[in-house]
Amino acid sequence: MSARLHFEDFAIGRKFDCGPYCVTREEILEFAREFDPQPHHLDEEAAKRSMLGGLAASGWHVCAMTMRMFADSLLPLAEARGGIGAPEARWIKPVRPGDVLRVEAEVVSLKPSRTKPIGFVTFSCKVLNQREQAALIVMTPIIARREAP
Amino acid sequence: MSPQYWEDVKIGARRELGDYVFTEEEIIRFGRKYDPQPFHIDPKAAKDSLFGGLIASGWHTAAVWMKLVVADRARGDGEPQELRAGVSPGFEDMQWLKPVRPGVRLFFSTEVTAKRELGSRPEFGLVYTRNEARLQSGEVVFRFTGKGFVQRRPKS
Repeated sequence: MSARLHFEDFAIGRKFDCGPYCVTREEILEFAREFDPQPHHLDEEAAKRSMLGGLAASGWHVCAMTMRMFADSLLPLAEARGGIGAPEARWIKPVRPGDVLRVEAEVVSLKPSRTKPIGFVTFSCKVLNQREQAALIVMTPIIARREAP
Repeated sequence: MSPQYWEDVKIGARRELGDYVFTEEEIIRFGRKYDPQPFHIDPKAAKDSLFGGLIASGWHTAAVWMKLVVADRARGDGEPQELRAGVSPGFEDMQWLKPVRPGVRLFFSTEVTAKRELGSRPEFGLVYTRNEARLQSGEVVFRFTGKGFVQRRPKS
């Protein structure tokens, strides 16, 4: 079998680096047009007058970009079977055109399933921009297979 | 009706945001871009997965909720239902309870559950919402608690 990480291989405090992700204006606009067409995600002038103080990506877009980094960097290492939700997320800083994001994913809780050969591994994903400022912190539990007994 | 201030927002106010059917094509398109796990991008591999078939990324379901909220605000009922809404500081308790499969009709809603004043930003208040997507049968497949800043009524 593969040497990929099973539930038993994760320990609280273990960290994984994911990314980077280069954020472009075109992508911010494309996501916003489809899913979050509010003026502060589409129009520079309206964005300047808003709480964001300038054009910024939809928070849902930042979550989606985070998922992409997580899926590319961490999931291939693990016997993972998808997610179950996100118990908490905080949008802390706007994500702007030209930002380069990365994710520090730290294991914060481990819960074996009582009935299935799986366990839930919860990561706290801290999304940092190129100035090392946290833009988003999101909790993401994933389903990981347990090692065969 | 003019746009509502935080003071006008009523706990218990509920909006049915409308229904939405995810197509296989858009599930795969979102999955390829943002969540390239086999069960989001490859119908064949998805059959052998825990989910038994292609399903939408949970973040795709969340993004569609947002899309329907923005559309609902713009639609109004002859009048704009606009909130003096700012941005959101985050959310809590997002649960992907059941797989979202292509062709299935989901019904989205939002309901105000609580309000809070903000010491740090007196010009805004916080509004908490319970947000859901349900099947025709009423079964909840997606749920989270939203938080949004809404402008306070200026003191005259």
